[in-house]
Amino acid sequence: MSTPDDMSPDDLLAMDYALGALGRAERKAAEVRLRSDPGFRALVEGWQATLAPLDDEVAAVAPPPAVWAAIAAEITPPPRVAAAPAPAPQQLPARGWWHNLALWRGLAVGGPVAAALAVVAISTPGGEVAPQASVPAAAPAGDRLVATLAGADGKPLLAAAYDPASGAVAFAPVAAPDGEAGKVPELWVIEGKNPPRSLGVIDISRGQTHSIPRERLQGLKAGAVLAISIEPIGGSPTGAPTGPVVATGALTAA
Amino acid sequence: MKAPPAHGAPPPSDGAQALAALLARAAGGDAQAFQDFYARTSAKLFGIIVRILPDSGEAEDVLQEVYVTVWRKAAEFDALRASPITWAATIARNRAIDRLRARAVRPAAPVDEAHDVADDAPDAEALMASQQDAALVAGALAGLEPRQAAAIRACYFEGLTYEALAAREGVPVGTLKSWVRRGLIKMREGLEGAA
Repeated sequence: MSTPDDMSPDDLLAMDYALGALGRAERKAAEVRLRSDPGFRALVEGWQATLAPLDDEVAAVAPPPAVWAAIAAEITPPPRVAAAPAPAPQQLPARGWWHNLALWRGLAVGGPVAAALAVVAISTPGGEVAPQASVPAAAPAGDRLVATLAGADGKPLLAAAYDPASGAVAFAPVAAPDGEAGKVPELWVIEGKNPPRSLGVIDISRGQTHSIPRERLQGLKAGAVLAISIEPIGGSPTGAPTGPVVATGALTAA
Repeated sequence: MKAPPAHGAPPPSDGAQALAALLARAAGGDAQAFQDFYARTSAKLFGIIVRILPDSGEAEDVLQEVYVTVWRKAAEFDALRASPITWAATIARNRAIDRLRARAVRPAAPVDEAHDVADDAPDAEALMASQQDAALVAGALAGLEPRQAAAIRACYFEGLTYEALAAREGVPVGTLKSWVRRGLIKMREGLEGAA
């Protein structure tokens, strides 16, 4: 039988590393080798494979659901509709802003009255709305429309871009959120003096693009106002916004 | 030493392939595939982490870190080099050990308690490495001196350094290291002979 004396120093180090028996400094040194030395890495992987079946002896322990929620919040799914305008992805924060209801709730210090004032205040988007710049020029069917949705104090929260070709509305954050959980955001469109019409609950688990049934979008054009309110799970029970309107913005041609 | 837990049903032979397919989809940005991967692997990984970091809050932090890493590195997974579950379990073990090393030495239980094999059958059987492998390794360990096998398990399951385990066992570090290393070599040779 072999003894440790028969083994190369590298194989011994690989064994100790795979076993997990090295102290902190030695581990760090071994990890530097791992990244730079394929031969050493192969030795380590050999020992890891040898030891891996031992993992079956470890009792499985179901983690609490909160762990997945935290992971989901941290991994931001990339925009999934290639045809939709992708609003300035380089502006996305590293963490999962989309899943953070605080962003949707935003600066919900005011109710509908304050938000209505905000509509007026932001109906001419300011120069900081970078996402507009990335909207592709070619629009197969109808004009692309963009809006900056601002909170009650007029501070921009979200940029939205509507792509008539795909029926999708893509969002990008303008402001960073704080942190809160609870209800769901619902998207509304307000055309002229008509009451807000629901475009549906925004599914924050589905990525940064929100698809809207085509029939709901008939006649949607520049000048209409998009608004987001915070509603009970499943959406507003009354057909009109019931929760705080956290962001509004007028659609303008891209 | 107890035998590894018996399972009513063998894992599907395509378990590793299914996990590899989920990882590939996750690498392409498919969060739903990644959630499926999590659902099928997280209990195993959390079990591994909790053995090393019994404080559950800390273990949860590490589990979160591990899956965020898996998500970001999914494209680097290479099915020719490791099974998906071994790859993910290795990330979990390494993160947990890093966390353990980064803090002060914790009080350690004696090996006799520590090497108790869990009786609970893991609930995510599809992700198990083949039960045959587990039986072979357990068999190889059974061929070692009990203290040798217990020391290997203590290092591997608890993330203990040779120094920490030697102190706990009241033996010189050199002696313990020699036990463990000889035991591992014998184990590997036994597995190679059985393969």
